[in-house]
Amino acid sequence: MNSDFDVSQYLNMFLDEAEEELQELEEGIVLLEQEQQDKDLLNRIFRAAHTLKGSSASMGFEDMATLTHDMENVLDRLRMGKLTLTKEIVDLLLECLDALKILKENITSGEKREVDVGSLSDRLKLAASRETGAPEKGPKRPAAQRKGETKKTTAVTNSEVEINEDMLQFTEVEKNVIQAAEVKGFQVYHLVVNLQPDTKMKAARAYIVFNNLKDVGEVIKTVPSAEDIEAERFENSFELVLITNEDEDRIKNIVKSVSEISTVTVKDITLPAGAQEEKTGKKEVTEQGKGNKTDGDKGDAAFQTRRKSNQTVRVDVQRLENLINLVGELVIDRTRLAEVSSELKSSLGTSELLETMEEVSVHIGRITSDLQEEIMKSRMFPIEQVFNRFPRMVRDLARKAGKDIDFIVEGKETELDRTVIEEVGDPLIHLLRNAIDHGIEKPEERKKLGKPLKGTIKLKAFHQENQIVITVEDDGRGMDPEDIKKKALEKGLLSEEAAARLSDREALQLIFRAGFSTARKVSDVSGRGVGMDIVKNHLEKINGIIEIRTDRGKGTKFIIRLPLTLAINRSLLVSSGGRVFAFPLSNVVEIVHLERGTVKEIQKREVTVVRGEVLPLYWLNSVLGLDSGSRWAEEKVPVVIVGISEKRLGFVVDELLGEQEIVIKSLGEFIGQVPGLAGATIMGDGKVALILDVRGLIDQSSGEESHEYAS
Amino acid sequence: MEEEKRENGAEEQLVVFQLAGETYGIDISTVHEIIRMQAITDVPRTPDFVEGVINLRGRIVPVIDLHKRFGLVSGEKEKEDSKIMVVEVNNVIVGMIVDSVTEVLRLPTKNIEPPPAVISTGVDAAYLRGVGKWKDDLIILLNLDKIFQKEEQKELQESMEEVEELAQ
Repeated sequence: MNSDFDVSQYLNMFLDEAEEELQELEEGIVLLEQEQQDKDLLNRIFRAAHTLKGSSASMGFEDMATLTHDMENVLDRLRMGKLTLTKEIVDLLLECLDALKILKENITSGEKREVDVGSLSDRLKLAASRETGAPEKGPKRPAAQRKGETKKTTAVTNSEVEINEDMLQFTEVEKNVIQAAEVKGFQVYHLVVNLQPDTKMKAARAYIVFNNLKDVGEVIKTVPSAEDIEAERFENSFELVLITNEDEDRIKNIVKSVSEISTVTVKDITLPAGAQEEKTGKKEVTEQGKGNKTDGDKGDAAFQTRRKSNQTVRVDVQRLENLINLVGELVIDRTRLAEVSSELKSSLGTSELLETMEEVSVHIGRITSDLQEEIMKSRMFPIEQVFNRFPRMVRDLARKAGKDIDFIVEGKETELDRTVIEEVGDPLIHLLRNAIDHGIEKPEERKKLGKPLKGTIKLKAFHQENQIVITVEDDGRGMDPEDIKKKALEKGLLSEEAAARLSDREALQLIFRAGFSTARKVSDVSGRGVGMDIVKNHLEKINGIIEIRTDRGKGTKFIIRLPLTLAINRSLLVSSGGRVFAFPLSNVVEIVHLERGTVKEIQKREVTVVRGEVLPLYWLNSVLGLDSGSRWAEEKVPVVIVGISEKRLGFVVDELLGEQEIVIKSLGEFIGQVPGLAGATIMGDGKVALILDVRGLIDQSSGEESHEYAS
Repeated sequence: MEEEKRENGAEEQLVVFQLAGETYGIDISTVHEIIRMQAITDVPRTPDFVEGVINLRGRIVPVIDLHKRFGLVSGEKEKEDSKIMVVEVNNVIVGMIVDSVTEVLRLPTKNIEPPPAVISTGVDAAYLRGVGKWKDDLIILLNLDKIFQKEEQKELQESMEEVEELAQ
């Protein structure tokens, strides 16, 4: 249909759009299962399928177009009330959706995964034919579909016609024209022209139709637009509004005289009373006019989505990334500028020129902050993107597990950085799967326990200070620390002696150990014993922290805390051995000053006690292997206590330099990943400081420990 | 120079620098810029020859010491005219510390000979692309690809493994 060039040009746009439509479909279908009677919802789903059909056909993806076309038919009959929604239909629709996803993936990846479109399509047709009324005869649409077209419905209708049902909306100008024509005694017809399915030159046929009609009247509107029709951007049918003196039959004959036209409907149009009033009344208030339109609901929704999409621009991620980097540079220079100006002031004393410079520097600082904030915001996405795929997943898993689950999602609109969004999906999937498989009990069991038959899983996201908190909560059986200990013993994860010493809280932490799984049975999605440690790793990679709250018999709640962004970090700058290092502030639990006397040695390790908890101490210098360090040169040393998950460690440093916003830069390909280092940053004075990777440091430090034991 | 070019056609444009008393040359197209010696932040747990990183106009660039890289005995370290040559090889940007940068010249290709099996400087022959004759001097042509590739990576890999072993 299009040349290769054209297709490739629009491919990305098509894929983005397809993604959105598929998302909409999935969300809708899953919801539909619960809210069977929701007409608006059906319309929304239908529209998504329809859009997808149109765009995939115009891109030449036949399989996709066929499948969506058949889905559309089923959906259409559902919303017309000619078909009752059954579980089978929902399943079938979801199956088709999966097929569509694969087809889309195929386009993206260039792979050729087999999809049996034919059989799905047949099943859809079969489903569509199972109607409540008489089967074979073409579905007669209720005549009074809309106030505006109550008059005689002629000719054969088929499902193609109904698609465009909501399209006839007139602008003010068109309404004026129609009314003027009516006043003068002209007829206004709404024509729906269907071409034969295999028509080769659709645009040409349409053109001939227009030309012929021009002889007898005036075409004032077409759906789709004239440009779209010319460019063949339409399915097998198009609509038009004609003002003429001729009668219906004559018009019909004129159209039918063109070859390859299969059917044509001609309807008389009278403007709805509302529109007329509105016209005679307040002509200038267009907002009100929109509200008064027939088909108000749907029209408005469509209008709003259209308007919304007009106001956004798709930007290449890389470009945003570059912007962030540039702003990072500015942030650094801002700090430098402030430093220089204060230094100048102290060495030269005050002068008018210096004061002006200070003013400028402050102003630049303010603007840079704003700029930084705005750009950060542009990288923020609602977590919806991740959350949206869960209802379907939960539904499928719950059905497979034979459980009845209410899935509640809150705080979809919470925004966070896209780098964080990308990483947070997998851990959440694991947590949800666990909740379904291990958390929620089977209905029988719940009945016995006197719990509501339907289990509840609640996924919630919200902002808290400078963090995003995501919780996954179920009202299932909860976890028993004793059970976990027993299991860990069986798996040989720890010794009996060690297990006995564990507090309940520590015992719960065992589930994050590699090789731990409390599931008695291994299901195909969870319980492979890899879940929770992967969850933890994933989250720690993005500086996240996970906590567990569980109540035996009542349920479990996982609380995930994430930083808002990964690109710019608040850090604690410290010096050690004459070098400057940055601790990500998100990992710093607290800072204490320790006196030599409070430090004890246990098994050759220095430890101290902070608020009743034993804290292992490490000298930052020696952990990094920079030098063995002049230990205890002073009687009192600053200690940075860092934490990841439940682990707490203290790092002794020489000096605390203060808090600063830093931009994380990688050490470059040549050096690559260095354990214990997250990267480098450029400080206000232009010097480079290394950013510590607390997780790596902790692994290193505890590693050192076991190494010592071994030797 | 112009005459030579017309006569031979093929020639190479080189940046020539001094390292431990010898003259070396590298292809000018790999050289991004030459900057004065500056404070280098050392990075723990990296191979010995990695001096650390510098801030090159907002970009973090690793710096290596060619003396250590080639196992040469380093003379007076960081002399006044020590320079950092920032080169790009296979999309990786690295700074190399050299004793001094002498000139940029065009060397006719016919003056370049393959590296001799044994070379007095002590630099592994694998790192050399050839030896160029220029006036009365010999210019050792470095093969940066080799220097930064395989061996380098292997060594880096090994040092990483060592660290990992330690950690376990």
